[in-house]
Parts: sequence; C-alpha cells; structure tokens
Amino acid sequence: MTLSYPRRIFLTALVMLIGLLLVVAALWLPPIDHDIEVMDSLFVIDITDSMNVEDARIGNSKVNRLDWAKEFTRQAILAMPCGSRVGLGIFSEARSLILMTPVEVCSNYHDLMQMLSQFHPSMAWVRSSEVSKALYTAIRQAKEITPQPTVVFLTDGHEAPPVHETLFPKFTGTPGEVAGVIVGIGGSDLLPIPKTNEAGEIEGTWAINEVMHRDVYASSRGDAAELNENRPRTEHLSSQKKSHLETVSKRIGFEFVSSPRSPQALMKEMRKISENRQQSVKYDLFVWLASTALILLILVFLPYSLFRRQAE
Amino acid sequence: MILFGLEWAFPLVLLLLPLALLPWFNNNLDKTVAWTALVPHDPLSKTISLALKILSSVVIAALLFAIASPAVPERIVEGYGEGAEIVLLLDRSRSMDDAFAVGPQAATYSVGGDNSKRRVARTYLTEFVKKRPDDRFGFVFFSTNSINLLPLTYSKDAILATIEANSLGRGLSNTNLADALLNSALMFENQAYRGSRIILLVSDGGQLMTEEEMQQIATRYNEMNLSIYWIYLKSKQDMTLERTENDSILYSDLPERKVHEFFKGLGIPYRAFEAGSLEEFAEAMDEIDEQQYQTLIVEELVPHQPRADWFLWLALIAMLPLASSHLYSYWGVRKAHG
Repeated sequence: MTLSYPRRIFLTALVMLIGLLLVVAALWLPPIDHDIEVMDSLFVIDITDSMNVEDARIGNSKVNRLDWAKEFTRQAILAMPCGSRVGLGIFSEARSLILMTPVEVCSNYHDLMQMLSQFHPSMAWVRSSEVSKALYTAIRQAKEITPQPTVVFLTDGHEAPPVHETLFPKFTGTPGEVAGVIVGIGGSDLLPIPKTNEAGEIEGTWAINEVMHRDVYASSRGDAAELNENRPRTEHLSSQKKSHLETVSKRIGFEFVSSPRSPQALMKEMRKISENRQQSVKYDLFVWLASTALILLILVFLPYSLFRRQAE
Repeated sequence: MILFGLEWAFPLVLLLLPLALLPWFNNNLDKTVAWTALVPHDPLSKTISLALKILSSVVIAALLFAIASPAVPERIVEGYGEGAEIVLLLDRSRSMDDAFAVGPQAATYSVGGDNSKRRVARTYLTEFVKKRPDDRFGFVFFSTNSINLLPLTYSKDAILATIEANSLGRGLSNTNLADALLNSALMFENQAYRGSRIILLVSDGGQLMTEEEMQQIATRYNEMNLSIYWIYLKSKQDMTLERTENDSILYSDLPERKVHEFFKGLGIPYRAFEAGSLEEFAEAMDEIDEQQYQTLIVEELVPHQPRADWFLWLALIAMLPLASSHLYSYWGVRKAHG
C-alpha cells in the first residue's frame, strides 16, 4: 500500500503536532499517585553460640549461621519497596532485645546495615539459648510498637538448656495475634558448637560434659536417671531443629520457613499474614509519553521505500 | 549505571541511539518528479532540508536520552552547621527499670512501667534529638560487652528508632561502664575533627573501674578531644555527686561519687547534671541544648536528582521548528492540491 503525496505530508504534519504535545505533556504533566503495598517488620536475629556453626550456604560457599542470617536480612531489606519499614533486634539468653524500632528502608538503608554489621556473638549477655522464651518476648515487644510489625525470627532452633517435650515454657498470648515468620537456619547434620569467651572470641567447641543434656525438670526429678537412661547425649552438637521450630511456630501462630533460598520465599509468607499498608508513591508518566512520541516519529522516518523495493 | 557522570535508570535504551540516523535514510516525503532536471537548483531549500534532517535526528536522540531516565547520582556535600557530634550512652542496667523521681517506697513497686528511668530518658532524649537538626548522633549498646551499635549518623529516624527500642523490654543484668566509655570514644576514631564531640551518659549509678581502665579512658578522651556530659538520675533526693557538709556517711563511698571525681580529674570539659525530678531532667537537656551550638562541619546527603527534563527540553526546542515546518508544508500542499 502506498500513500499519496498529500496524504504523507498530512500524516507527517499530524505526527509532528501530536509529538510536540506529548513532549509538552512529558515536561509539565504532574506525577500521578500510585499505590503500592508495603509492610512493617521486625527482624530478630539469634546471636547465641550455636549460630557460629558453619553449615549454612550462600551461593557455593559455606558460612556460619549468623552470617547467613545477616546476609539474608540484608537481601530481604533490599527486596522491599521504599516505604516499607524494618526494625532490628537480637536474641540471646531467654529474651529478644529490640535495638531499633522499624524505620523506612530506603532512606535508612545505610544505618540499618551499619547496625546489622555490629551483630556479633559478643553482644550476648548470658551464654544460654532459650528460643521459645525469646520468641515470646519478641511477640510482647512487637505489641508495644505502633504500627505493629510482623516479626521475622531467624534462628537454628537450638535450645540450651533443652526443653521437655511436654513441659515447655507456657505461651500466655493469643496465637496469631502478632503475625510472624520463623526462618530456620542451618543444616541437618549434628555439628560441634564453637564456644565463645567473655570477649566474644571463639575458643574451641562446647564439650559433651559442659552442657545440659536434659531439661531442668527432668534433671531435678528423682526418676530422671531411669527415664533418660538410654537417651543419646547430643546437646553439645547442633543442627537445625526443624520439628521443634514447627511445633513452636504452631503454638504461637507463626509461619515457619526452613532455609529459604531467596528472600522472595520469606516475603511471600509475610505478605500472606501481614497487615499491608497502602503507601502512595509519586509516579511520573514522562517515560511513557516520551516513548509514544518517539515511536510515532520513528514510524514517520522508517525508510518504507526500501521495504517496497525489496518486496518487488 | 553511571555514564557521562549521570546515573541511568534504563541504560539499554541508549543502544537504540542509531535510530537517530533514520531521517537521513528515507525519502518518504519526496515527490515523484518526471524529470529531475526540471527542478530548479535551489540552495536555500537544500539548506532547509539539511536543517530539518538535523533537527529530526536531534529530537529522536533527545527522546531516547530522556527515556533512559538520567539522574545526577546521590552525593555528599559538606557544609557548615551549628551543633555537635553526640554519642549517647544510656545505662541499660536493671535499676533503670525502676520508677524515676518518686518517693522511696514507691520506687520498688512499678518495675518497667511508663515512668521507669529508661522510659523517662527516652522521652527527653527524643525531644532533644528532634530539636537539633545539624547534630550527628551515635548510640552505644551498653551491656557486658558494649558495642557501637549505631555509628554516628545524620539520620534522625535511625537514632530516634534506636532510642525508642532502648526503652522496650527489661534491663540487662550486667553492664560495664568502663568498656562502654572506651568504646564510645572509638566512634570518633579515624574521623576528621568537625566540631565539638560529646559523650552523653545517662545513668542512675556508677561503677568502680580499675586503675588501668581509668588510665586508658583518660588517654583516649584527651587524645580525641571529647567532652563528657553526665545526666545522673538520682535515686535518693539528698544524695549529691559532690561532697556536702552534712553528708550521710553512707554516701561517701558510693561508686557514682568516685566516677564523678574521676571525670573531674580527666582534664577534659565535663559537666554533671543531677536530676532528681522530671523538671530537673528537662532543664539538664535544655542546658546542653543551649550550650552546644558551635560551628560544625556537616555532611549533607543530596538525594539523586532526575535530569530527564534537560533532554525533554532539548527535544521540545528542536521539535518546535520541525513541527512548524511540516505544518507549513501541509498548508502549502493543501493549497496546491486543493
């Protein structure tokens, strides 16, 4: 199909006029509001000794569980849209300690990373690791923060001293009242736990006779010897305690994700359970307007005669 | 991606730049003429046609540059402000969970309540931080081993969130004052001297330090030009950091008095504020606020600035004569053919 000369002149003039208007619009049209979903979260990281075990993977390299937790937190923060807010906390002994309440991720990225990089086993105030109780305190403190954040608890689930199968610490809250995800870290093989000294430096590993192998209840009962006689003594070794974490997460109404490959897996769980906030962001349409103008111009300038000659 | 000193959101779009040559390779608007020799030689029309081609190329290129969304990258600008660089050292020990400024009996009852010393400190520090736009704040985690939790930052959000978090939950069983004092000084290590440097200690007690620790603190604080402000939250109304005439014999050996004596003898600027009530606490904060307005070198983070506008303007300027010339030829052709 060929267009007559006057037609071509007309179309070209029309395109030029539209193009001019589009460029004017690109320059002066105000940005429009565009709603995105953001959420608030509180990352609590286990810094107890068992987190020094090197059985987590980033890509092809083996790293210790704490480094994995820090890197995973960093990636999760990067994956969040601006407007999301993240707080940080650590867990040691039998409690979670919130160190920064949620702040906006994009404008405070540097400070979040600065604080995250300081998380180190030497911050631990007591050398024990009562995961369940720490989860309960994290929940209690999340309730004090407004708006209430989703708790992301990164741990290997290693309880020291161990907990009894039925006589576990009581959860007094309402399950699911605070939304949260437990991220399980570590491999499935039992490995020796590096031991840290007062200054937080690693000094050998925990020996079999240095740790409690039964829970406080059983060890103080008279019939304990008979009851526990044939149980293996492995509490000085550590692996990811998946079934324990699953049980605990059910008790408190949390989700459980074991060694997620990417932060996307965590975000998916979080989106399911979190209260999402609508955050409106300014969105400038200039790219679309300029692109339309460009496409129109290119249509005018395409060397149609070449195509036609080839077709003949 | 950084190209020509600009940050491009969609750098791949620039690969389409050869499209700007299209106007030179087509003859869409040529008129079929029976015999070209009949067309008169016209240098003006040649120049115009050349100019139009150049303009068309400019428009296409400018639009491509604009679509690639360039921006001046985020950068740090140094300027002068008024204020100080302040490291907050908040006592996190259990005793800070006790109620502040109440009668002697009541203090033992409400533990970790809204009027606990830690929460009162939160309230006033928050107010203080908000009043001081140019200050840079750091925060030390005060436990068995202290950690420089939040290195000096200009972000008010970050420091306020850290102060807020410090008021949550219960206190820690062990704190180590000497370690915290030594560590907080390290916040200024390898930093250019920008203006007055303050360690702001808020605590309700003191701790005995070893001779060696005191020596280290003295050296480090003098080397780094630090000042100490100590807001001492009194637990007993009549107890003062300074010895008085009718002193109770019980007070003479208290660790806080020893810490006070030590700070006084450091040879660095030091002030103690003894707060026995909320008013006194507020006054102490106000006084620090008033004193600390010296010239300070501040770093300002200038966020990245979109610069697609430059190219849109260029496109617009090139487009105006181009569009008018095409509209003019349309008008001419219509007259001729109409």
